Amino acid sequence: MSYSTSTSEPAAAHGPTLSAKEIRRYTFKVGLARSEGGIMELISEIYTYVFGAVVLIVMSGAIIVGLRHSLGLGSEPAWSASALAPGFASLEPLQASATLMLTLAAALLSVQMNIGPIAMTVPQTFWWLGLPVRRRGFIQPGFFRSMIWPAAGAVAVVVPLSLGIGADSSPALVALATLCGAALALLLYGIAGWVQIVGGERWLRPLTGAVTVIAPLSLVATALINNAEKTRVDMSWLQYLPTSWPLLVADGQLWPLLVTAVAVAMLAVVYANLERLSSASLKSSAVASAYVAGSVLSMDASELSRSLSNGSRSGHSWIRLPLVFHRGTLTRRSVLTMLSAHLTMQLRQPATLVRVLVLAAIPASLASVQFLGNATLIAVVLYFCAHFAVTGLGSVARFAAGNPSVDALMPLPAKTVRRVHYVIPAVGMTLWVIICFALLHVLGVGSWPLIILAVLAGPGLGGATLRAAFRPTPDWNMPAVATAMGPIPTGAIRSFLIGPDLTLISLLPVLICLISGVVPLLAFPIQLALTLIAYAWGTKVRKPKKKGDGGIFGLPAAAPKR
Amino acid sequence: MSKPHKPAKPAAGGGSATAVRPELVRADRLRVGYGTKPVCGEIAFTLREAEAIALVGPNGAGKSTVLKTVVGQLEAISGTTHIRGQEADDRRLDFRREVAMVFDDDAFFPALTVEEHLAIVAAGHGSTVVEDLIDTELEFFGLTGERAALPHNLSSGQRRRMLLAAAFVRPRSLLVLDEPEQRLDTGMRARLAERLRSEVDAGLGLLLVTHDPEFLSIVATRAIFVDDVVKKMTPDQAALAISSENPHAG
Repeated sequence: MSYSTSTSEPAAAHGPTLSAKEIRRYTFKVGLARSEGGIMELISEIYTYVFGAVVLIVMSGAIIVGLRHSLGLGSEPAWSASALAPGFASLEPLQASATLMLTLAAALLSVQMNIGPIAMTVPQTFWWLGLPVRRRGFIQPGFFRSMIWPAAGAVAVVVPLSLGIGADSSPALVALATLCGAALALLLYGIAGWVQIVGGERWLRPLTGAVTVIAPLSLVATALINNAEKTRVDMSWLQYLPTSWPLLVADGQLWPLLVTAVAVAMLAVVYANLERLSSASLKSSAVASAYVAGSVLSMDASELSRSLSNGSRSGHSWIRLPLVFHRGTLTRRSVLTMLSAHLTMQLRQPATLVRVLVLAAIPASLASVQFLGNATLIAVVLYFCAHFAVTGLGSVARFAAGNPSVDALMPLPAKTVRRVHYVIPAVGMTLWVIICFALLHVLGVGSWPLIILAVLAGPGLGGATLRAAFRPTPDWNMPAVATAMGPIPTGAIRSFLIGPDLTLISLLPVLICLISGVVPLLAFPIQLALTLIAYAWGTKVRKPKKKGDGGIFGLPAAAPKR
Repeated sequence: MSKPHKPAKPAAGGGSATAVRPELVRADRLRVGYGTKPVCGEIAFTLREAEAIALVGPNGAGKSTVLKTVVGQLEAISGTTHIRGQEADDRRLDFRREVAMVFDDDAFFPALTVEEHLAIVAAGHGSTVVEDLIDTELEFFGLTGERAALPHNLSSGQRRRMLLAAAFVRPRSLLVLDEPEQRLDTGMRARLAERLRSEVDAGLGLLLVTHDPEFLSIVATRAIFVDDVVKKMTPDQAALAISSENPHAG
């Protein structure tokens, strides 16, 4: 057998190469023929999209009704009563909407740059990109497919805003505002695509990150200044930022629709330069997209947040805490080492800590806006912010859950180890609720007794952090369960709910008192009891499952093979 | 690995034969790393046809980073790499025609068989004898029985063989391999080493990273020790350096 196939003129013994389109079609055709779904899979896909659209429309409708009631455009239900102190000068809806649009635009651009935005799958980058054919045919489908998400996101945001805010929300104006919003989102997609082609995201990335953090805080700051100085800071310039143009269209102005032409031109430029994308960039975006898809599938909010944010981290940190202790008993020294290690790992994630801090300010930023200052809305948003803060502060505990051998190195019982992991999140979440409720109080929402009640809830949220971090992972070895949203691994939904449930239980008295506007004395012992329950629940160490335990649908497990 | 026959090495070291062989790769004052932080010392070399350069060195020294930078998969901190006189850039069609590379990737289309993966590569490179090429490579890499197998049904070593086979079902004048001996059994390593050597003798340019001293001494015509200070070595010196750092290699 001769192996001398190598040659200095490699193409000499070969015929004309196939086109990218032919190779792509071959790959899909062969793959499709072997997939299990066929026509039923297609129907399931359509059903999923229709179901998703209905859910989106219902949610948007609820927001629109709420906004219109808050603006006095309809009768006001009891649950949307203002939680603000009388005489408090709220921010105008237009400023809030403009800030929201700016934040979302920065977040969209940041996410787009982190995941590509023009992406292929990992196998495609490996098996296709090395072929000597024009790559446009490989890259183009990903370019068009990736446009759907920013456009859909823009529709989901702009439709309710233009319906809720526009004085004359005629269908034509809403449609034009939505078109403007979609064009704006696609322009940002085009910018991210251009950055992917030519590089140069070094200054854009920190800028978008800073805007995402600062913009929501600016609402709280402006409201505070307005009320302290008894004046109004002029923020009308915000509505002229391009990110606010869809709102102007909803208000009857048509010139911002020029952004549509700019977006088309930008996309055309990116399209014309698709072949300039490097393999390294396409591979990196393929890996990032796979990470995002995996996080969505595993329903892990913390992982999803990490996957959507910039993954590049410096290999070095200036944070150094003592890890070796010489005084006291062995148990005391081990506990101190663990605490110090936990704190070090947490402090070495500054981006996570900033995110957690911003989450503490979001309920206050809602309260500062004229039409959003109703207690129920603040309570709901506060719950979600608390949950995301819980997952943020649980990252170290989550690492410990995924790497049990590290904890096993310590000469401590499992129960003690778990309690040590509880300390930092409990302290962190207590500080979090103090910041959150103090900001609300300054803006005229709540009272001192409510802050004290919230402080009592803080340690309970620490328990929720551990419960979420040490929750059992979905069983990937078991058959997937069929759902309306497609097959999901066994235990995924249960896994998704473990953690948020204890956050709700821990915060229940606080949230009820926030909505009702009064803090009865009885609330304190109830809150204390729930916090103790949350602590006990969160620090409980699950017994590992025995091999013979349980079977599918409660049937006895199969006898182990000998 | 059993002691294989050591094929005769072509003249490498400044003889008249070297002067006439066309230059494949030229790396000039190359500094590689992540961000602005270099992972190893500055590197410079020229690889001509019928030459095989092995990059050796301890774990984490930056060998794979050098390899990826040379073929344009990573951006260099400074310095340049040229392939056949043109800047290394896999966006160019002629680059992709000439350069075959296998890194430590483990990515496959889950619904495509071994044969279909190889067919994409062979047909994508314009082969008119796809079936024959695939038959030959499946036989060489011991995958004939796995022709219709899906990737997730293969062992890690079989998947590695499939990746290597993909580099051989296509034409190439430069082959870049990152630790090709990885996950291969002793017999397969020996066969692969001899085959690579015969292809180098026939004109192939080979740039590889290896930790296997025996593999290196069969295949390489020259070696570069990559670390904080980069040193050029003979294959024998490099094999000795590897053996002393890793007595269990091979």
